[in-house]
Amino acid sequence: MTTETELIEQLKRGNEAAFKTIVEQWKDLVFNTVLGIVQNETEAEDLTQDVFIKVFENISSFKGQSKFSTWLYRIATRTALDHLRSRKRKKRFGSVFSMMGNAKNESDELPDFQHPGVSLDNKERSKILFKAISRLPENQKAAFILNKMEGLSYREISEVLNTTVSAVESLISRANGNLRKQMEEYYRNQ
Amino acid sequence: MLNKENIQEEVERTLLSLEGIKRAGANPFLFTRITAKMQDRNGWERITSFISRPVVVVSALLIVLAVNSWAVFGSGTATLAREKESVAVTDIADEYNLAANANYDYENIPNE
Repeated sequence: MTTETELIEQLKRGNEAAFKTIVEQWKDLVFNTVLGIVQNETEAEDLTQDVFIKVFENISSFKGQSKFSTWLYRIATRTALDHLRSRKRKKRFGSVFSMMGNAKNESDELPDFQHPGVSLDNKERSKILFKAISRLPENQKAAFILNKMEGLSYREISEVLNTTVSAVESLISRANGNLRKQMEEYYRNQ
Repeated sequence: MLNKENIQEEVERTLLSLEGIKRAGANPFLFTRITAKMQDRNGWERITSFISRPVVVVSALLIVLAVNSWAVFGSGTATLAREKESVAVTDIADEYNLAANANYDYENIPNE
């Protein structure tokens, strides 16, 4: 059985079979991470493809100083956050046009997101929670998703986000505070 | 409307709604889609990388400038030549009374 190191070496030589094995082994990790951040299955699928293309194109820059999964998480998180920024820019551009009466008005709110991995009795609550997550600042969102959805420790998250463990603790604490505030307001208005 | 205690309870339960969440599964045909996308991108990349080469950009600019210069200066010379030619033709026509309107000037035909 080929080890991870051997697979990476083969991928660096452009071996397609090695690339296929890597995709099959890591695709759920990447897809789940991206999906948690962008909250749209179609976009997450597209972005997952982009992540693996970036892996293939940039594998020579992976020096093995961190775990391969850390590197993957980093690319996945950055790709997803870049996509969110691009989505926001398009929305802003669209609202300028709509002020000129050139485009139909679109709702600012994302449609309710239902994660396929959530248990049946938590589906409705998770929709409320994901809506609140979508309103978090980028770094808090990324840290929260990596912790809650991928089960990463604060140390692992710090390596992915290239920051300190105490910074990650602060991010998650602030994320929890923001989420509570949003949900208190939501339930107060029910 | 929920009271304060109920609200806190609801908030806590909602915050815990991701406990035990399972990883979402990626498309089983993901690898096929990736290779197709890479082939598409390779095509476009070749075109864009060719167009963005400095030699190609400079050559294209020179061609555009040359065409513009010919359009501006070249057509000016042609107009001058046409005008000169027109003057020569008019002179000949006048000398031999070959102007087109002369044949239709019935009212001013001198009585012979």
